[in-house]
Parts: sequence; C-alpha cells; structure tokens
Amino acid sequence: MRNKIIYRCWQVLFWGAYTGVLLSQTLQRTGWQLHIVFDFVLFFGYCVALTDLWRREILRRGWLDAVSIRTFGMGLLSAVTLGAVQTLLVVATDIALSAGRSYFIQQPVGILWTWLGAGALDVYWIGIYCLVKTRSLGKEKQVRLELALREAELRALEAQINPHFLFNCLNSIRALVVEDPQKAQDMITRFATLLRYNLTHDSRHTVPLSAETEVVTDYLALEKVRFEDRLRLKVTIDPAAASLLVPPMILQSLVENALKHGIARLPQGGDLQIRAAARNGTLVLEVENTGELTDSRSTDTQVGLNNIRERLRILYGDRATLALRNAEGGHVVATVQIPKVS
Amino acid sequence: MKALIVDDERLARAELRRLLAQHTEIEITGEARNGEEALALAAQHSPELLFLDIQMPQMSGFDVLERLDDVPQVIFTTAYDAYAIKAFEVNALDYLLKPIAPARLAAALAKVRPRSGPTRLERVFVRDGDRCWIVALPDIFLLESEGNYTRVCFNGHRPLIRRSLNSLEEQLDTAVFFRANRKEILNLKWIEKVDLGVAGGLSVTLRGGRTVEMSRRQSGRLREILSL
Repeated sequence: MRNKIIYRCWQVLFWGAYTGVLLSQTLQRTGWQLHIVFDFVLFFGYCVALTDLWRREILRRGWLDAVSIRTFGMGLLSAVTLGAVQTLLVVATDIALSAGRSYFIQQPVGILWTWLGAGALDVYWIGIYCLVKTRSLGKEKQVRLELALREAELRALEAQINPHFLFNCLNSIRALVVEDPQKAQDMITRFATLLRYNLTHDSRHTVPLSAETEVVTDYLALEKVRFEDRLRLKVTIDPAAASLLVPPMILQSLVENALKHGIARLPQGGDLQIRAAARNGTLVLEVENTGELTDSRSTDTQVGLNNIRERLRILYGDRATLALRNAEGGHVVATVQIPKVS
Repeated sequence: MKALIVDDERLARAELRRLLAQHTEIEITGEARNGEEALALAAQHSPELLFLDIQMPQMSGFDVLERLDDVPQVIFTTAYDAYAIKAFEVNALDYLLKPIAPARLAAALAKVRPRSGPTRLERVFVRDGDRCWIVALPDIFLLESEGNYTRVCFNGHRPLIRRSLNSLEEQLDTAVFFRANRKEILNLKWIEKVDLGVAGGLSVTLRGGRTVEMSRRQSGRLREILSL
C-alpha cells in the first residue's frame, strides 16, 4: 500500500516536472496558446499511462526476478520504443489540435528532438524504477527464505524435541542407567548436544555437510537406543563431499522422514542408509530406507518434503532437486542434488 | 495377578518390569513387542491386567483392544500426552506417562481389582469412528443383534462391535444378562417395569425408557426369575 502511494506520487512528480518544464519553455517561445497547454496535459497523460503499462508488462514477464546484461538491453530498447510511441502520440495530438499551424509540420526536426528527450527521460524512469524494484524484490526473497527456514527449524525442533521422541528417549535412558551405565552417560551427552544445537544454532547460513552429519549422528544414536536392532544403519560420506555447503537441517529432515514413515512402521524394523558424494562439484545426498512409496502418502510427509523443496528453490533456483523413488529390494530412496555455489 | 506388558521398545519393557518388581502381587506372564504378539500371549495366558503402549508399528494399542475377545483391565503406558487424553475417553483403568514414576505406578495398581468370576466377560472394547470406549458390562443395558455384529447400548451410545450376539452370550453372566428374544439380550439390573404385552408375552421397560418385547418362551422364564 505504502509502495503504491510512493509509486503514484513519483509518477506525477517525474512526468509533471518534465512536461511542466517543456511547457513553460514552449509558451515562452510561442506566447500563450491554449492548444499547446492541452497538448502538454495529454502528453503528461501518455507518459504516465505508457510507463505504467510497461511496468505491468515486465512484472508479468518476471524480467526483474533475475537481473542480467539482457535486462539492461531490454530496458534500453524499452526506453527507445516508449519514447517513439510518446513522440508519435504527441505529434498526432499537436497536428490535430493546432489547426494546421503545428510546430512539428513547420519544423519536422522537432520530432527527433522530442523523441530524444522523451527517450532520455524514459531511460531515467526505467533505470530508477528497476533499481528500486529489484531491491524490494530482493528483500521479499530474503523474507520468503527466512520464513521457509523458520518453518524447517520448527519442524526439526518438533521432531527432535517432540514430546514423543523426548520422553521415550528419557525413558530408554532411565532403563540404561541400570543396564549399561556407561551407555547411559553417552546418551545423556548426545542428548545435550542435540538440545544445544537446536536451541542455539543459527540456520540462516549454509553449513558444511560435516556439521550436519554430526548432528544427524547424535540424533540417530538416540533413535538407535530406542529401535535397537530394528534400525540397521549405514552411513557413507565421501570425504570430498564433507566440506560442501548445505542448507542446515536438510539431511536431518530427510532422515526423520525415513524413520517416521519407513522404519517406525515396520515391526521388524529395516535398513537406513545415508550416502553423500560429490560429482563434478554437485553434492548428491541420498537417504534410503526399507519401505514403500505409495500414492496415499500422508500429508505430513508432503509438508516436510515440500519445505525442503521450497528452501532449495529459493536458494538454488532450478539447479537443486529433490526426488523420491521406489528402489529394488523394497526400499525408498530420497535424493537431493545441490549445485556447487561459487 | 497375571499381567502382560505390551511395548515395542525393549528398554521400555525392561524398565517397567524393573518397576513392577516392587509389586509382588503382579506376576508378569509375558512381554509382547507388537500387537500380534500381544494377541497371541493374551489368548495363551488370559491375563487380568494389560500394560499397553499406544503407539506401536502396524497395530496400535487401540487396535489390540479391538481384537481382544475378553478385554482385561488396561493401564496405558505412553510417552505422549495427546494419547493419554484419548485413553481417558476409553475409560482405561489408568494411564502412565513414560518415564514412569514409581509412586504413580503404585497408585495405578491400587485401582486394579482381581477378576470376580472364572472366565466371565467383564468389559468390552468398542470403537465408533474416532471414538472408543472400554465398557464395563454393568453399564450395558441392552445388546442387539445386527447380523454378525452386535449393537452395544450404554450411556446414550449405541456403537457396533464385531462379534455376534450368540458368541457374546456364551461369555455373559446369566444371572445378569437375559435373552429377551431372538435379537436382544437385556441387563436384568436395568429393568424398571414389566407389563403384560400382546399375546401373553411380557413387555419390559428399562431404565432410560427403552422397552423390549419378550418372546413367549422367554416371558415364562423371566416370570420364574423375577418370581412374578
């Protein structure tokens, strides 16, 4: 709303000033003539309407979503075209209103000057508009990214510190205190690490994959205490992949999904494999679990996966992917590919 | 008293077993890791008390109850409060939150009552959509046959259970439940009024206003029981 008001004021001031200055100069030269005043009022109208039309069109086409050299070229071309249309309109109006005494007929070179003048102003207009708009779009993108991150954090927090996980975990540790005190100590330490990571880490930046796998290792160690031999784990991290950057919580979300919708539903448990490899700088993350992909996936799986997709899209555009497929041996594989970021 | 522990986590079962060691009156006859095992062990030992985890793979605690012919006294054990609320609705004996506090366990065990008769049905588990109940038999005033199912009437609810009226009848206490006709069994303790009906049969009105027409033959038997 505020932006709209600013935009309208700017339109009036910008074109008002331009046509106002031109009008006063012309009137000084020709003396007071009503048709010239009309002419300029209409000219003002054309300028406002045309630039507004142009603005709607580029927003519809999404030119400003990705700014490149091409954007500059298109901007310049737009200015020349807009200037030509404005000139044609003003010349036509002048000829129609001046009853044969048109300035443009007497001095055809005036058409060229008008075109150049209007074109130059269009260059300014487009330049200023694009500059301001891309900055606000950038801010919007940032806000969207933060929202998606916030949601992922919340989801991960719910999963790790969800009451069901939390209290079952404490219950297991209580049993371990008698059965295997050393293991109980170890689990308490891991539990503390996990809580600390969740309560303090800043997820606005990407993290090295190694940092993400550390947290996932702690999380899985705790789940392993609960699932025991129902959870058969295999983690393979290519050393070249360990230093690649990933959005925080991405592996965590995938593992959580695999446990919740795969292993936890099977009385005999199943396999969970985590693989990470670097292929030509692209990070390929795979989480494979026993289970089957069905059409009637519950909505909360989709919510978790959609959140990952949304974050990947914001961060990497079309270059990052998340795919889910059935694999041989009754397994489900989730694959995430993340491009190298320079 | 024979008890069965049902939980998918070994450590959770071990912990409960350790806590129950203080209570010598409880004899743990088995531990089940999932619903299937629970049903098998229940059939084998007919326990009087069930410690039942709710969230388990494939068959939840509620699913287990639904498949038990004879529902023992149930104490739910759960890590998560949301399930406990549901457990209250089903009228379980009690629910325990994991990790279980010893004092809380003692309080729950104090509510346990030994079985009154030998193999008599004491309560049934019914589910109607999302709602479920463990219904004590004295609360049931009428059982109606609906093919292979039976409609259980209690406290303003009339859900169906997956058992025929005839199979239920075999397990009912004949001093309380009385066959009124081919399709209905009524609870004698709920009779409010008996009228002479058409063609010599009796018409019984139960507390709550429900009337049941007795068959000719059963009318005669009811007269004997009530010594009219």
